[in-house]
This record gives sequence, structure tokens and C-alpha cells, in this order.
Amino acid sequence: MISLYRPGSSLMHRMRAGLKLLLFAAAALAIGLFATNLVAVAVAASAVVAAYLAAGFGPAVLVRQVLAARWVIVVMAVTQLVFLPAVVAAVNTGRVTLVVVLAALLTLTTRVPDLIDVVEWAARPLRRFGVDPATLSLLFAITITAIPVIAGFAAEIREAQRARGVRLLPHAVVVPLLVMSLRYADDLGEAMVARGAE
Amino acid sequence: MTREIELGGVSVEFEGRRALHDVSVRLSERHIGVIGSNGSGKSTFARLLNGLVVATSGSVAVHGINPARRGRDLRRDVGFVFSNPDAQIIMPTVAEDVAFSLRGSALGRDEIRSRVASALEEFALTEHPDAPAHSLSGGQKQLLALAAILVKRPALVIADEPTASLDASNTKRVAAHLFGGDHQLVLVTHDLRLAARCDVVLWFENSRLIARGEPARVIADYERAHA
Repeated sequence: MISLYRPGSSLMHRMRAGLKLLLFAAAALAIGLFATNLVAVAVAASAVVAAYLAAGFGPAVLVRQVLAARWVIVVMAVTQLVFLPAVVAAVNTGRVTLVVVLAALLTLTTRVPDLIDVVEWAARPLRRFGVDPATLSLLFAITITAIPVIAGFAAEIREAQRARGVRLLPHAVVVPLLVMSLRYADDLGEAMVARGAE
Repeated sequence: MTREIELGGVSVEFEGRRALHDVSVRLSERHIGVIGSNGSGKSTFARLLNGLVVATSGSVAVHGINPARRGRDLRRDVGFVFSNPDAQIIMPTVAEDVAFSLRGSALGRDEIRSRVASALEEFALTEHPDAPAHSLSGGQKQLLALAAILVKRPALVIADEPTASLDASNTKRVAAHLFGGDHQLVLVTHDLRLAARCDVVLWFENSRLIARGEPARVIADYERAHA
């Protein structure tokens, strides 16, 4: 589920979304630039754990974020281990994991409408290139909303195929998923117009 | 603003297929029921009223506004409830989705917050403000869809089979909200008990409006025709 916000009263929760986004960008940059060895990665990891604790989240929440990103971590680690020394692969994978987990902290402490406002504000300069910031922020919101819906379609299809005793073949999932997703997109578009989001 | 819906000789065609044929009707009743077989033109009629569908010929005026020309203006004051609540949810969480309806309105943040809170209370969704909207049950999703529509306090609510996938108690809850409030209601439904609660019923068949009148009489004729 991508909608991660958990209510709270910590400093992280109360901080303005724009400032939080800026701090996140700075922290991600710092991890990218300075966490170049295992010790630095460990120090950065400690800082991330501290940030989770300061936001009022226990280790279980942190572990859940790491587990949610497990396939990205596995793919990164394995592909790098093929070409790079183990220490370098570990450092690179560690850095990416820390940034992903930090990004999750941003969504855990920020309501989507606040993030949308920031996206809309940040996209204002794009107006001169014909991009409507309101449309862009709406696109951002819909993307977040649509992910669990489409995941639900995939689960429904798998369930229906199991019920009919059909072997789970990729193309037998992809085609109905595409049809259901397109129908959903059509219905959602109509509902958006009806709700005044044009 | 008048509460009149007026269609004069309206026909709608999609890619050569006739969806509505020569429909003329003037409606000022508060609760308007729309019945008919699948594919009879009911949903096209409903979509015509807020400009989601444009007439191929004829004239449409909803509360004095032509939906084809001023659809955006009209939709500020007209709420549309679909049968599938999943497709109506735009924002990830319950409270955010209700608040989305008020984005761009002249209301301040505090007023929006207070309106959302009272809408959630009214629709018995206070326990789930920050829950992912798609994790709700079917009935709760439809209540959320209704809350998101009614929080705008529209003058007209168009509901296209809003209880199609609901159990008896959720149907009762949704109906209570649809029939409550000050708004005018156009209710497209296969639930003849709900249609019977309207002030007037329209019966569509084969893309034509074939009857309009007192609910008990029109519903009895409809049931006889489909016995």
C-alpha cells in the first residue's frame, strides 16, 4: 500500500512539507556524496534510525519499509556483486536503501495533499513551457491512488484463474490486467470530470 | 437558479449507435427516478445532464444551464455518483478524497477541515479518516463517494445505479443520504423500491423515453412489461 501517512505530533509531522522535502533532498545528496565507505554508511544508517525514532516510529515500521523495498535491494545487490567488489556493492546498496527508507519517512509523516501542494508550487516555473502545475499535482495524486487499485486487479485476476484451475501464465494475467486498467482509466477520467477536476 | 431540467427532442449517437432517441421532457420535481432495462438509455440520460455526454441533436437545459456549453460551471453545482465507487476515488485516503472535492473552492483551510470532519461524521466514516480509501468495504466506499459529492452541497445530485453492488443495510444508508438534504435528485436505478420513493419516474426502453409519471403507475406498467 503506497498511502503511508501515519498521524502523529512529532516535529517531522509538524514541519512544512516544502521544508521537509528540501531537507530530504539535502540528506539524500549528503548520503550520495559522503557515505562512500562502510563506516560512513553505518553512521548515515544510525542517523536514519534516529530520524524514525524522533518521528515516533519504532523499529517495526522501519523494518517494514526495508521489506517493502526488498526486491529493489536484492536486484541492486546481486547485479553489483557480479561486476564490483563486495564492499563497493554493499556500500552502494546501503546508500540506495537509506535514501529509499528516508523517502518513506517523508510519506509516513506528510499528508498527500500537502505533498501535492509542494509539487504544484515546485512546478510553477514550468508554466512558461505550457505545463499546468495543477494538472501535474493531480497526476501525482492519481498515480498514488491508482497503484493499490491496479494491484487489486492483479490479485482478482490471479484469484479468478486459480478458481478456474488455470495455470498462472504471464500473458494470461497481462491481457485482462490491461483491459481492467484501461476500463478503470476510462471510468476514473469520467469521474474526475464529474467531480470538477478537468 | 431554477430547479428545472428540460430536454427538447434530444438524440445521442455514439459511433453510429443510437443511445437516446428524440427525448423531450420537463422536470421540476425534487426526486426523479429513472428505470429501464440494461442498455435502454438511462445512463446516457444521466450523463447528458452534467455534460459527460453531449447531445447529437436537440436542446438540454439543467437549472438554466446548457451542459454542453457550460459543463464546467454546471458541474460545480451538480454531483454525480457512479455505480462503481472505486473509479470515483481520486485521493489515496478517506479524508483526503472528501477534501479533494473542496479544492479550488473559496473556502479557507479551517473551513475545509471542518466541513470534511462533519461529512465524515455524517457518513459514519470518522473511524477511517487516514485509512487508504481503497481498503474500505464496498458499502463504505459508496458512502465515501457520496460524502465526497455531498460535501460540496450541490443543487443537483445524479446517481447512476448507486446501490447496484450494495447489501440491504448499505442500500438503506446510501438511500437515506440520497433522499435527504436539499438537493434535487435524479436516481437511475434497477431497485424499484427506491424508484417508488421518488416524486416522478421516467421509464426508458430501446433508447426512448416511453413513460413518465406517478411512480406507482409507471413501475406497475414496467413490471407488467417484464413479467
